[in-house]
Amino acid sequence: MNLEGSETGNSIRRFAIAIPLIIGILGILFLIDLMLGSVNIPPDALLTILTGGAAKETWTTIFWDWRLPKAITAVFVGGALALSGLLMQTFFRNPLADPFILGISSGASLGVALVMMSAGFCGVGIIFASIGLIGDISISVASILGAFAVLLLILLISSKIQSNITILILGIMVSYISGAIVTILLQFSDEASMHSFTFWTMGSFSGVTWSQLPILVTLLLAGFIMSFFLVKSLNALLLGEQYAESMGMNYNRTRIVIITTTALMAGVVTAFCGPIGFLGIAVPHLCRALFVTADHRILVPGCIIIGGILALCTDIISHVPGTGIVLPLNAITALFGAPVVIWVIVRGTRFGRGITT
Amino acid sequence: MNAISILTCENLTIGYRNQKTVIKEVSKDLNLNLIRGELVCLIGPNGSGKSTLIRTLAGIQPPLHGDVWLRDKKIDDLSSEERAKSFSVVLTTPVQVGYLTAFDIVALGRFPYTNWAGRLTEPDKNIVISALASVGAHDLAQRFIHELSDGERQKVMIARALAQEPELMVLDEPTAYLDLPHKIETMRILKRVAQKNKKSILLSTHDLNLAIRCADQLWIMDRNGTMISGTPEDLVLSGIFGSAFEIDGVSFDAVRGEFTIPVEKRGTFSLIAPESVERIWTSYALERIGYVPADGTVSDIIVTIHKDGQKPVWNLSHPGGEQTCESIRSLVESISVTCFLGDDSH
Repeated sequence: MNLEGSETGNSIRRFAIAIPLIIGILGILFLIDLMLGSVNIPPDALLTILTGGAAKETWTTIFWDWRLPKAITAVFVGGALALSGLLMQTFFRNPLADPFILGISSGASLGVALVMMSAGFCGVGIIFASIGLIGDISISVASILGAFAVLLLILLISSKIQSNITILILGIMVSYISGAIVTILLQFSDEASMHSFTFWTMGSFSGVTWSQLPILVTLLLAGFIMSFFLVKSLNALLLGEQYAESMGMNYNRTRIVIITTTALMAGVVTAFCGPIGFLGIAVPHLCRALFVTADHRILVPGCIIIGGILALCTDIISHVPGTGIVLPLNAITALFGAPVVIWVIVRGTRFGRGITT
Repeated sequence: MNAISILTCENLTIGYRNQKTVIKEVSKDLNLNLIRGELVCLIGPNGSGKSTLIRTLAGIQPPLHGDVWLRDKKIDDLSSEERAKSFSVVLTTPVQVGYLTAFDIVALGRFPYTNWAGRLTEPDKNIVISALASVGAHDLAQRFIHELSDGERQKVMIARALAQEPELMVLDEPTAYLDLPHKIETMRILKRVAQKNKKSILLSTHDLNLAIRCADQLWIMDRNGTMISGTPEDLVLSGIFGSAFEIDGVSFDAVRGEFTIPVEKRGTFSLIAPESVERIWTSYALERIGYVPADGTVSDIIVTIHKDGQKPVWNLSHPGGEQTCESIRSLVESISVTCFLGDDSH
């Protein structure tokens, strides 16, 4: 057999070579994200700040209080969104699935809205929503629960209905319904919470403070680790549920783990950064095309890194460097993500069928 | 050769249990036995319950009554991993996945053996490669699955099932979607896998001719869900095979081992020619246009085949005269013109 040099190691070996490169790009973008913004911090000043030297005070404040938490958030959130998109695409065997489209983000929004708005209704809510850590946790929990509820609903429907297109449409409908409930809630809330909620829906990496960051990072890291343990089952699921089960995969357990992981990541991200669209759907497709494989042993780490890279890019663009303008993050992700979705649909019948219906 | 039973079931009842009360029995009192190294074809008309049986034997669907035994263990008692190591499946639904090479797909068959990350060890890789080689698909290893033809993809899926190193492989209509040469090739591969790799193979199919020729055992399910099993030749000789499938106007020709296409009878023919390929195909052509071989000496037309050097020549004699034809086409045309027109004028 002269296949020795051409086994499956190929794509993995290729990925091993690419890893330092893409991590390098991630590092460079991370530094650029630290430097650029409404006020640009020059590289030498950045170095001084990092080494603990004395730089201009405003720069130091901006760096520590704004830029660094924002950049760290972007890296983790980008990875988490990409990963939850990947899990959904494989699980539903649908190239157009992602937490945003399936209404999971909307479910999370509803959870957040309920907590935020209840602040306007009663005193307990105010205490919950406004007091630092407890407020963050209650919002996160509400968001994760909202995400989980929508996912369970979709799962329930998908066990009855085979057509993936139907499930997508139902997901969109669910997100309309939760959107409608949120709008009605807004009508009854005071102006302050209405404003903060509206701002939150635009999506932003900047809202995460140092006290919140450990929560965000810990929960998302947990999601990353759970995803790594899923790679084998995800690969089996590429052949479909029946094949996967015939190979000894415990479908019910895998299903619960996939859903929990996705709800955790999508819920946490939505709680802290708002409902961010398109990264979840676009990054997995980019990774498949980039690494020319559907093997999740490559796609899971690939999505985390590429997701981080794209999140940093969108963050840099949204903070229009050198100006005071901050564009809504969702506008930027849509601007770059929508073409990817179009590409997937247009090429869907030939090469783009990473996972077809 | 001592026969080892791989799969047995006694008094098995299969069917659906929609709600707790509604029970639809598809077939009952099934007694089946699958022997190591045997290729078994499950055949039966549409809707007879082939898929239900396949799903029940594969453990996807619970039986309504009775047990399926895998060697000496009940299939329900096996863990999903043990089950995966005992048998593998090839399903009807085509796998639609991009960016996975044939090697990757076959490597997924190692699922029950690999670690949590699905890492392939050297022995695993060798098994994958030899599985690909067993089905004659080693040159497809690095091709993407979505670029393969249906026949090539079926080979890869069989290789995947083989890489799972089961004792029993269950295939649901592996020859559907394929053209005749690929159907035959697929059956040839499966037969070789059964014999060389000592696997038991159970497959459902609608290709009766292929089933008769390839199977070591036939399981025939008729429309009422009754199951008859046996060696194909025995079933043909006893007439069971024919009666299970015959519908109005379509009958089984036990001599040729195939179903005949009904045509309106026009008359009888006598064919005078030595045993040859030309003789066989000439009689096929005559039957196709509605002539049957004459019982006695009297017939409506007489066709004689002469070999004029390399080329055969057909001599047609009928009540209206005689004609010489250089091809079967012109023979058929002559018969139509002279004899059919004559019929119409009556």
